[in-house]
Amino acid sequence: MGRAPCRVRTYHENVVSPQAPRVTDVTEATPVARTPASRARPSRQGPPGEPRRVAYLYILPAFVFFAGFMAWPLLHGFWLTFYEWNGLTLGTWVGLDNYHAVLTDPELREPFGHSLILVIFFSVIPIVLGLTLAGLMMRARLRGMPFFRTVLFLPQVIAMVVVAIAWGHIYEPDGPLNDLLRTLGLDDLTQVWLGDPSWALVSVGIVGTWVGTGLCLILFLAGLSKVPRELYESARLDGAGAVREFLNVGLPALRGELAVAATLTMIAALRTFDLVYVMTPGGGPSGSTSVPSYEVYKRAFIDGEVGTAVTVAIVLTAIILLVTIGINRFAERGDEVRL
Amino acid sequence: MRASRTEHLLSYAILAIASAFALYPLGLIIATGLQPDAVGAEGGIDFGNFADAWDEGNFGRYLQNSVIVAVAVVLLSAAVSSLAGYAFGTMRFRGSSVLFYLLLLGMMVPSEAIVIPLYYDLESIGLTNTYAALILPQVAQSLAFGTFWMRAYFRSASREVVEAARMDGAGHLRVFWSILLPMGRPALMTMVLLIFMWTWNEFLLPLVMLPNAEDLRTAPLGLSNFSGQYTSGTALLAAGAVLVALPVVIVYLITQRHFIRGMIEGAVKG
Amino acid sequence: MIQRRSIIGPRRRSAMRATVAAFAVTALALAACAPGEDSDGGEEAAPSDIETNVADMGDITLTVWDQQVRGGQAESIEALNAAFEEEYPNVTIDRVSRSFEDLQRVLRLAIQDDEAPDVVQANNNRSQMGAFVEAGLLRSLDGYADVYGWKDRYPESILAHSSYSDDGAVFGEGNLYGLPQTGELIGVWYNKAKLQQLGIEPPQSLADFEAALQAAKDAGELPIQFGNKDPWPGIHTFGFIQNMFADREEIRAFGYGNPGGDWTDEANTQAADELQSWVDAGYFTSGFNGIDYDPSWQDFANGEGVFLISGSWLLADLRDAMGDNVGFMLPPVGETGELTVTGATGLPFAVPTEGDNADAAAAYIDFITSPEAMQTLTEAGELPVVETDQQQVSGTQAEVFEAWGTAGSEGALVPYLDWGTPDAYTVISTGVQAFMGGDESTEELLGTFEEDYSSFVSENSGG
Repeated sequence: MGRAPCRVRTYHENVVSPQAPRVTDVTEATPVARTPASRARPSRQGPPGEPRRVAYLYILPAFVFFAGFMAWPLLHGFWLTFYEWNGLTLGTWVGLDNYHAVLTDPELREPFGHSLILVIFFSVIPIVLGLTLAGLMMRARLRGMPFFRTVLFLPQVIAMVVVAIAWGHIYEPDGPLNDLLRTLGLDDLTQVWLGDPSWALVSVGIVGTWVGTGLCLILFLAGLSKVPRELYESARLDGAGAVREFLNVGLPALRGELAVAATLTMIAALRTFDLVYVMTPGGGPSGSTSVPSYEVYKRAFIDGEVGTAVTVAIVLTAIILLVTIGINRFAERGDEVRL
Repeated sequence: MRASRTEHLLSYAILAIASAFALYPLGLIIATGLQPDAVGAEGGIDFGNFADAWDEGNFGRYLQNSVIVAVAVVLLSAAVSSLAGYAFGTMRFRGSSVLFYLLLLGMMVPSEAIVIPLYYDLESIGLTNTYAALILPQVAQSLAFGTFWMRAYFRSASREVVEAARMDGAGHLRVFWSILLPMGRPALMTMVLLIFMWTWNEFLLPLVMLPNAEDLRTAPLGLSNFSGQYTSGTALLAAGAVLVALPVVIVYLITQRHFIRGMIEGAVKG
Repeated sequence: MIQRRSIIGPRRRSAMRATVAAFAVTALALAACAPGEDSDGGEEAAPSDIETNVADMGDITLTVWDQQVRGGQAESIEALNAAFEEEYPNVTIDRVSRSFEDLQRVLRLAIQDDEAPDVVQANNNRSQMGAFVEAGLLRSLDGYADVYGWKDRYPESILAHSSYSDDGAVFGEGNLYGLPQTGELIGVWYNKAKLQQLGIEPPQSLADFEAALQAAKDAGELPIQFGNKDPWPGIHTFGFIQNMFADREEIRAFGYGNPGGDWTDEANTQAADELQSWVDAGYFTSGFNGIDYDPSWQDFANGEGVFLISGSWLLADLRDAMGDNVGFMLPPVGETGELTVTGATGLPFAVPTEGDNADAAAAYIDFITSPEAMQTLTEAGELPVVETDQQQVSGTQAEVFEAWGTAGSEGALVPYLDWGTPDAYTVISTGVQAFMGGDESTEELLGTFEEDYSSFVSENSGG
């Protein structure tokens, strides 16, 4: 007769990542420890007194920037999607044709398909790896964690252009990867990684795995370490083995971290530009590494098809918004604070 | 409930392998950058590549530009975000929720969505090929995050301190400037570091905004250009790449606790 | 929360309505006006208005974009720039050099920007120069051609390569949009020592060439050095073989985007099959689709490879690295029985409409293509496009000059395949890359080429 483990107190952190900048978990920080006095007062209310008009003055600069460099271009862009324009001469109204093209033209759909594959490499694999490895490591009390954390997090900090050059070198036909395969006697497995249409996208994906796995591992380790020991012990007492422990105690505790990891890595996958532009210029062999953001740049500034380009950008934005909201919905379902 | 010996060893093994995997590509370009650079040269160690990249490759100039842009963005963003975050976090005013969520939405809009119209907008007012074209949009992009961050901090800042100051007759501005801001140093620091890193590593925006301003190139853009243009010697390219990544890495190593902890453990410690 | 809402309620609702209304009005207003401006077409300067005395133009900074990134080419352009600045101290030249691939990607954005460069080297194919002309981004140089007498020094056929009708529809006639400095042809560079070791003479026919390749292979040498990661070299390699099977007129039809060719005919099928057989026989560098162009010719210079099928533009660099050991020969004569050589000119120098100093730009272009300049080019190891026979050359350079002379006199030059249609560059380069990588069959490859070519031709002639 198993007993369900106590619901672990979950809370959401504000987490941000370098590679998918400026997107964080939307839910608010509710730090756990609180002094009794402040707990007594609901945190919604500000200081006592009337609403302050001066607040508008405080937020004005932010909104000026926002309006000028975010809202206005966005609206402008949205307007552009209804035109066919070469960026120079007079554009022609085409109504919803551009959107139709994005949905039906195989050349425009392909990049999105590639993005989906990249999501697997940038996001799914690092999360699974992170979970597995964290699970294996969760019971050991380890020393030197700060050092390891620093090292494992490093890939997130390096400019993607630099990453692209480093990995471009690794993937060269006479580069380290093929050399390794040859030393292991696996000559048949050597490929022209970045030149072969069947392998180029996977090669890009592997770089994404490299970037994301460290982050996920650290996130999940941190999350698991916050689980009170008693919960593990009570699971043990119920006769749960290591795997059970992880699944029933550790995993639910990681809901918040999972949401964060998923958001950051998926957006990194969807927004990849630098890596593809530098490591596989021109959209890769036979266009096999073309991704939406590259398509946006190419259509607007190389081909002179601005309307199509912005449409792709808007569709990409919509997808990113949906993904972010979707993941946060998933995370919020676990937002129960109980003791 | 001690972990077994094997689990311990296994954990260290995992960490070691993962660390090696994380470090390998970086070690590789450093090593490549140290090789002599010429068609038909032998192996050996040669620091000259870094000097060459600085001069011939113009990386000195590019790094300088990156510093200018990053510092400007950080200062502006920090100032504007703190003000807005303070208001959102401590003041009651009509429409604050709506406005805040609007700003939040801005966080989710990727730069790809706005870079094209922004280019044409800035071009029509003659701002392309200037520092402004790099600084202003990136401030806007950092604001959503910055405001969110500072608001969270200010919200949970100790009420007693604020009230005590208030009862002493301090106005909002004084509370903000002399009390909360100094207390918020860790939060501020993290935000500054993150914005610095994002701005330094930004590639698409400079690519689009500087089609004709060779001398305003930021480091990642300069590197990409160099990679396309330099016809011989991967060693020189690798040296350039190291130079581009180095500043952020150094800042990261010095403040790693802030970076990582700030990112992972929440905006503000209670 | 509930209290708040009911207080704000009605006001909020009417605020919302107002916002929606405002949006709608704005939307309608915006729908009425389209983005962009009416172009005034490529501006043409009347000969009488043209200022040629650079010294009188005041202090100018001339921004010049070129793609002379390799050793010899860089040397010549820098020498010419220095000479220009010396002669006209009021002018400062701001030189920006980019690789061929890079230029391809960034040129459009740069020349439509309001701070466009004054002079750019633009690829004369349809996807670049043709598209730019269509968008009104390049100035017509006809007025300057008259004033500076370019039409007297340059043969009609050369000028045709940089001419388009002013809507960009017709390639090969119309206004002049660029002026090239150098001539170019695709031939075979070979390692003399290795050929001698193999006991072979430079092959003159297809059969001889195949025999040479096999002999090299048997002796453990790399027959053909090749790097196709940024896949434009493949266009030349394919063209090289195609020249031995298809006749000149058909290739010219493809290259200019004119009707009269059929990619799927017997000759082209044979050519593609021949290329395939060379790939299968292992004549090319292994892993060529992952090797960039520059590392590949550098490997050749270091002694890897017997033959290198590439352009005469490599002369300076190969000569520096290999001395007299490198030879250049015309492509062998193939099934057609006549010599056919892909070649034309180096990238022409053009003047963007958005640039500020058009007259100075034209004067600069005249300077770098003058008879003295042609000499400078020769000394730097290049092939000048005119006055070739007036230059003093020896060694390998003489071989290149001779080849150029022969090709010209026999009327054997045919254009690059990627010139023909706006998409040809992408279609052919990526197609050949996939084909040589074993991912496409002959039928598929030629099918995509034919589709692109014929749809363009029918659109172009109908429209």
